[in-house]
Amino acid sequence: MRYLTFALGKGRLVNQTMELLDKCGITCNEVTDKNTRKLIFTNEELKLKFFLAKGPDVPTYVEYGAADIGIVGEDTILEEQRNVYEVLDLGFGKCRMCVAGPKSAKELLDHHEMIRVASKYPNIAKDYFYNKKNQTVDIIKLNGSVELGPIVGLSDVIVDIVETGSTLKANGLEVLEEICPLSARVIVNQVSMQIETDRIRKLIKAMKENLD
Amino acid sequence: MNLATKKMNRELVHTPDGVRDIYGRECSDRSTVKHRIKEIMKRFGYSNITTPTFEFFEVFAKEISQENSKDLYKFFDNDGSTIVLRPDFTPSVARCIAKYFMENDDSVRICYSGNTFTNNHRLQGKMSEHTQLGAELMCDGSVYADAEIIAMMIQSLEETGLKDFQVTIGEADYYRGICEEAKIDEATEIELRDAISGKNYFAAEKILIDAGVEDKYINILLNSPDFAKANELDNALINVNNKRSSSAIAHLKSLYQKLKIYGVEKYISFDLSMLSPLNYYTGVMFRAYTYGVGDAIATGGRYDTLLSKFGKDAPAIGFMVDLEYLMKALYSQKINIPFAEGHQTLYFTDDNYEEILQKARKLRNAGYYVALEKISES
Repeated sequence: MRYLTFALGKGRLVNQTMELLDKCGITCNEVTDKNTRKLIFTNEELKLKFFLAKGPDVPTYVEYGAADIGIVGEDTILEEQRNVYEVLDLGFGKCRMCVAGPKSAKELLDHHEMIRVASKYPNIAKDYFYNKKNQTVDIIKLNGSVELGPIVGLSDVIVDIVETGSTLKANGLEVLEEICPLSARVIVNQVSMQIETDRIRKLIKAMKENLD
Repeated sequence: MNLATKKMNRELVHTPDGVRDIYGRECSDRSTVKHRIKEIMKRFGYSNITTPTFEFFEVFAKEISQENSKDLYKFFDNDGSTIVLRPDFTPSVARCIAKYFMENDDSVRICYSGNTFTNNHRLQGKMSEHTQLGAELMCDGSVYADAEIIAMMIQSLEETGLKDFQVTIGEADYYRGICEEAKIDEATEIELRDAISGKNYFAAEKILIDAGVEDKYINILLNSPDFAKANELDNALINVNNKRSSSAIAHLKSLYQKLKIYGVEKYISFDLSMLSPLNYYTGVMFRAYTYGVGDAIATGGRYDTLLSKFGKDAPAIGFMVDLEYLMKALYSQKINIPFAEGHQTLYFTDDNYEEILQKARKLRNAGYYVALEKISES
């Protein structure tokens, strides 16, 4: 039997994912072990392999078949636009993709003015402003602490993930518009889906049944 | 050469993103594989065609080509017309056949090979230049034509040494029939098409519920069998009451029957959730998948409305093998590609040049591969 390989997005999703897999009878305790230096973890009994990757890279690994199955946030899938099957909504890791900024920026959004948008997600921002709102904007790609943008005057608003809104609030910003809800998703390589149909379907079914 | 020119020349050796040099063993392997596939097409009675590398933009416009027009390499000719490097052979071949066989209603069997160009930006690690080999059977709308093309594709892949691959067949009409029966409007259908072909069933469910589609049809659409075996095809018709869908299923069953006679049924499975970009394929469509490459190595389908876009009303079906993906699969599965014996080298000096040259000529005339080289003095 071939190994089926899982690519997991590093960060908060990992523990919840492993808990879910545990419920499905798939265990691989090493994955959540913070002290290990290993990169790939194996479950010999079920012929499964796991590795952790940076979120935005997960769809890439899956598209090329380096991993058969990936678990990653919807935000990454939307941003990367890879050719993968998106087969299951895991329901956890819930948050929203939002346009946020100081209250005063609300007016700029309503009047379709040319504004500057800072974001880690330039593709999502572009799609939202150009195709949904038909507003011309200047998009600036930032790689983290996007909230700084409006505070230091780099941009008028930001497009980012909002979970509780407390980071925004602490910095005097608020949600101005909601783009879409987000949660963790299971993605599958298109070829693996054809060739390992039975095993992958069984896995997905088990995960689906064990969601709360 | 001084240092500055040397440095400048060094900078010239790179190729732009998305294209590359192919040389040595790889180049030889590729031509071996190409030759084998072409040989199979010839054995089925297909004759070669060459169409221009670039054509008018309109030939590859949105309604005709599968490619996004943003991804085409475009430029202008002297008259100011927009010219496109071909992203795909099928529209070119259809144009050519429509032009030269306008009065002919007999079936036409055509095969081609060459390079296609799509502008893959965004650093996704995909090449912009791909070699494709394909065949088209035009003016024949029968199930026998469908079977011939699929069987020929399978035999072409087998001939390259590939063993472990899957061919998935879908039918465009099955889904269209259900959408008609459920009275789903065109805008919803387009949205739905994306979700279903991405196997994104929860997004599809949301679209269907938002559009107020009846539960019965939501169930049918969300459970349309993917990766089914032939004997499961009838399940797709439970609760379905329209002619379009049921004749699509009947067609697939009859196609499977013919493929069994070809003896290729072990490669076949069916996927009724396989959908094509809007209005491209009109009947069967199929893709071949194998290990070691993240994309289909060969694809094809029936496009009965394509020729009419060039003024000839005739059905057509075709397939193409993507040599880039196929080679990747062959290498990663470590499939042995026979390496043609290289050439021999004869060495000469100023004194025996005539004698050695005569020898080389004799050998060359006898069909041997011979290189001549002067022994270096030092």
